[in-house]
Amino acid sequence: MNEKLLSVKNLTMKFGGLTAIDNLTFEANQNEITSIIGPNGAGKTTVFNCLTGFYKPTVGEMLLRKEDKTILLNKFTDFKIAQQAKVARTFQNIRLFPAMSVLENLLVAQHNELMKASGYSIFGLLNLKRYKDKEQQAVEKSKYWLDIIGLTARADDNAGDLPYGDQRKLEIIRAMCIDPKLLCLDEPAAGLNPRESAELNKLLKLIKSEKKIGILLIEHDMSVVMGISDHVVVLNYGKKIFEGTPEATTKNKEVIEAYLGIEE
Amino acid sequence: MFSEDLKKNIKDSLFTGLIALALFFPIVGLRTEIQKEGLYIDPQWGLTALLVILCTVGRFLINLNISRKRKIIFVSDFTSNLSKFFSGKGKQFAITGILFATVFPFLPFTDRYILDIGIMVLTYIMLGWGLNIVVGLAGLLDLGYVAFYAVGAYSFALISTTFGMSFWACLPLAGIFAAFFGILLGFPVLRLRGDYLAIVTLGFGEIVRIILINWYDLTNGPDGISGIPRPTFFGLEFTNNPKEGTEAFHTFFNLEFSSIHKMIFLYYVILVLALVTNYFTLRIRRLPVGRAWEALRENEIACKSLGVNPTNTKLTAFAIGAMFGGFAGSFFATKQGFISPESFTFIESAIIVAIVVLGGMGSQTGVVLAAVFLIGFTEVFRELEQFRMIAFGLAMVLIMLFKPKGILANRQPTITLHGTKK
Repeated sequence: MNEKLLSVKNLTMKFGGLTAIDNLTFEANQNEITSIIGPNGAGKTTVFNCLTGFYKPTVGEMLLRKEDKTILLNKFTDFKIAQQAKVARTFQNIRLFPAMSVLENLLVAQHNELMKASGYSIFGLLNLKRYKDKEQQAVEKSKYWLDIIGLTARADDNAGDLPYGDQRKLEIIRAMCIDPKLLCLDEPAAGLNPRESAELNKLLKLIKSEKKIGILLIEHDMSVVMGISDHVVVLNYGKKIFEGTPEATTKNKEVIEAYLGIEE
Repeated sequence: MFSEDLKKNIKDSLFTGLIALALFFPIVGLRTEIQKEGLYIDPQWGLTALLVILCTVGRFLINLNISRKRKIIFVSDFTSNLSKFFSGKGKQFAITGILFATVFPFLPFTDRYILDIGIMVLTYIMLGWGLNIVVGLAGLLDLGYVAFYAVGAYSFALISTTFGMSFWACLPLAGIFAAFFGILLGFPVLRLRGDYLAIVTLGFGEIVRIILINWYDLTNGPDGISGIPRPTFFGLEFTNNPKEGTEAFHTFFNLEFSSIHKMIFLYYVILVLALVTNYFTLRIRRLPVGRAWEALRENEIACKSLGVNPTNTKLTAFAIGAMFGGFAGSFFATKQGFISPESFTFIESAIIVAIVVLGGMGSQTGVVLAAVFLIGFTEVFRELEQFRMIAFGLAMVLIMLFKPKGILANRQPTITLHGTKK
């Protein structure tokens, strides 16, 4: 049994009179992929936005295990979630830095470490060795990830010039470059062809098995969800309607009615 | 008799002529002259007719070309060749440029007037490079950059006239003051982007100018500050009759006194200041903070999701950009010896932004070309008197037509895995 990584308790998010998430409680384990599925407007992305500090939840607690401590994610706002709590995310509509090169994209993700090494730019301006070594390390780390997704050859091209599928993968490894504890992927397979989604499955499985992190996944592509998830949470109208293994999910009557549909 | 195309063309050209007439008649045709009895109108029929005919015929020829499916591509060809020429040759260009700039004061054709233009162009190049940090790298459209120029100039003028400090001692202080104002402006506009940011910064520039006019006790209001000390060459003054106990530059070096010495010295001061700005920008672009600026320009939300602090990043961009504006401002004050709020109007900001945008956002070489083009050419066209601004506008329209991204729009990655591409 894998260690518990994230536990969300009684999470509620209200926008005026609209309750986007209603009393949601679920858990996610380390070295596992937890999928959040549900129809459009069920509140999946809102859960992500709460977890990654873009929204402040109305009620509820989000606890993350980091090393031996448990930290309360609610405390961190905005960029601090990524900087201090080490929760990384990708976006439904890809958000790369299109006019910057692939390598630069990955280096921006290592901004905080590099910033420290550059002595908040002072040592860097003086071109000290300490900073140069750190930068070399950062490049090595980027190269490690680029090798995995097979984009090393295009490292110096603009990120915006990559094909769509590669951009998706780049966004994922860019998130991995912050050394996250928890990786939140918002529809990573959207717009990918079957071959590309198979490659994505491979990448996610590799991250899951080799890195000590947990993955949260929002996805509509059932081949991805069923292929790689260890645990599935089903949302409908902001409420959790089911939680369990992928096999159990496909058999649950309520889930079929609300989301999966009945096969004729 | 006429083909359909030709008919259309003639109609179009005549219409263009009509618009030209409507525009040029009030602007060019009605010139006011001052006589003893007061103003009277001196109609310029010949000139107006010439301009209208020029527009009509020009339009006709352009249409003729288009109908023959021949595009006028020479300008865009020329500029893209220019981009190609400069890409990867940044170093060669920089070395040639610096060499030329270094020997410029001693070239045979360089007289006092041309040297003065050189100083002005270099001041604008420095301002352009400073603003390039804010606009080109961080993507924050700042229309009030002249405010920092003014803060630098006034802080230098006030400190030096009040406490008698020298130019070199005041320069860092002026930079710090300007950087402080940069942060002051930065805080309220952190959440703003694009058009909204442009409007607020524009307002900020005007506020600073209006404070300078109205705070009579401190800034001497519209009368300005005079008697600002000139820079000294390691304590040697550029004057014919130095103070008791001090030596002047020309006696120390056994030269005949000439006022051009001071100009040449000022020229080298601004050259060094500008080169420092450039070197600093090129270096900081390769540092994490520089990459964070560019990332912020590209996508702010993604920056946040990667743990980049957008507040600090933006404020450093504003502060550092403002600092260089402040340096340039103190140089301006010491060069002129007199400053008043009139030197810091919106048109200055507009020219600096134009230099950055026309040069190609973020391109250091582009800023040089654009500054030489915009400042140098307006001087060349000085003989056209009031039509100078038309030439200026025409140049800008042409660049925007053929090179909407600026003269040099190539961005070089700050770090490469496989080395520079050929």
